[in-house]
Amino acid sequence: MMRYLKLYAHFLRFSFSKAMEFRVDFFFRVVMDIIFYAVQFAFFHIIYLHTPILAGWDLEQMRVFIVSYIFIDALHMTVFSTNCWWLPIYINRGDLDYYLTKPVSTLFFLSLKDFAANSFLNLIIAAGLLWWALSSYPGELSSLKIGVYLLLLLNGTFLYFLVNLLFLLAVFWTQSPRGFGDLFFSVSHIMERPDRIYRGFARKAFVYLLPFALMASYPARFLLEENQWGLLWTIFGVTLAFFLLIQVVWRLGLRSYSSASS
Amino acid sequence: MKSWKLNVFAMELRRIVTYRADFWINFIGQTFFAIIIAYFLWSSIFESLGVETLNGFTMKKMIIYYLLVPLVFRIQQGQSIGSISREIYEGSLNKFLLYPINFYGYKIITHLASASFYFVQIGIIVAVYQFFFKDPTVFDPTLLQGLYFILAMVLVAICYFCLNSLAELVAFWADYIWSLGVILRFMVSFLGGALIPLDFYPTWAQDVLSYTPFPYMISFPMRILLEGVSLGAFVHHMVILLGWTLLFFALSNVIWTRGRYRYTGVGI
Repeated sequence: MMRYLKLYAHFLRFSFSKAMEFRVDFFFRVVMDIIFYAVQFAFFHIIYLHTPILAGWDLEQMRVFIVSYIFIDALHMTVFSTNCWWLPIYINRGDLDYYLTKPVSTLFFLSLKDFAANSFLNLIIAAGLLWWALSSYPGELSSLKIGVYLLLLLNGTFLYFLVNLLFLLAVFWTQSPRGFGDLFFSVSHIMERPDRIYRGFARKAFVYLLPFALMASYPARFLLEENQWGLLWTIFGVTLAFFLLIQVVWRLGLRSYSSASS
Repeated sequence: MKSWKLNVFAMELRRIVTYRADFWINFIGQTFFAIIIAYFLWSSIFESLGVETLNGFTMKKMIIYYLLVPLVFRIQQGQSIGSISREIYEGSLNKFLLYPINFYGYKIITHLASASFYFVQIGIIVAVYQFFFKDPTVFDPTLLQGLYFILAMVLVAICYFCLNSLAELVAFWADYIWSLGVILRFMVSFLGGALIPLDFYPTWAQDVLSYTPFPYMISFPMRILLEGVSLGAFVHHMVILLGWTLLFFALSNVIWTRGRYRYTGVGI
């Protein structure tokens, strides 16, 4: 365990020094995410100009939901997204060999080696928005529920990463440079809408098959509504199932990996 | 002998379809999920309000809007976004400076090639929709509308290319500027009406936006397809769009000319 922590500390050091090489891009990446956050708020504010309630939530409650998925996005962008960008490229080019020979878990190495230092600033901004939305919320929020809610957001980020990986690992079989990364980008917008708008089979699918509803919407429901402790079983159960699924798909993928570039 | 422009166009088309399965799975998946998300969001709003029409949109019209708008957005964006800055950053611009062809012309042709592929996709979507769900009261495009739409989208694609190249050419001064392109994408998407039809924006916002190029890039072609426009309105909008295109083109030429002298050709 200590070895992995030390290794991660090295990843952080390299990533920060690399990010500072491109200062203009560093600045614009911060601006980019701020614009992304502004667009998310503006989107729902425009919708609330036409309806007082959406999926059972008023605007104050929706703000908590918005900052929930903004925080998940920021954390994912900081910790995982650069690695997710490069992973299918390594597999496609046959560059995976270099990482397979390392004396650490290849999936750990490839998932965490690039820490997006420029997105880290945005993570701080997202955390600030989270604090603002929670502190300005007119209802009562207990410390225990806030603590569990924050834990659920961390879990949501990890689950988001696992589902992203699932789409990217298809590259082992498709041999393309991006896998289904573009498709994931479209599908991931499911997370940006409250889960109660989905009904019937779609609702079940977005809880169990493509569990985007569990990432931000369920944590927001847990925090804002009474008697939602039962949601925790579903959230942690599905996360565990996806974690195990990724291990299986990764191993199957490695069996198909030919090392040759395509 | 075939012109180099046709060769470049054909070569780019071949590149796009190299990974056919990926391409079509991404296309079908993206279209499917965009519709699913929009359907549930707006049906929830329509139901909670208990109305059948909202700002001139029925639920069916809203579905058509969200079915077509991602494709309009993709025609505009093409697949070559980021390629100019990457070539400057990596130093691979060298070859274009040596080729006996115009670099800008080459890039516009590759952009239009990928745009043309999305034209095929939008054609397929419209054909499938008309075959299975045809409802002339909601969506019944005429040949004239189709022609207006194609002309508008070609100009939109060129306009966006010129606007985007303003951001990409900053790479001469700042090396790696991927994020600038993404900022532009967000802005065009939100301010052009790709996320929510502009009719839902407050009136003051619509007035302000009419002085920017954004509504002409998405909302205008969508209006051509969904509602149709008169010849006068079409020409009026196209002239404004052409004005923006020429402005962006002129500015990007200035930046290109100045930036080239800073280019070291080494790459990073």
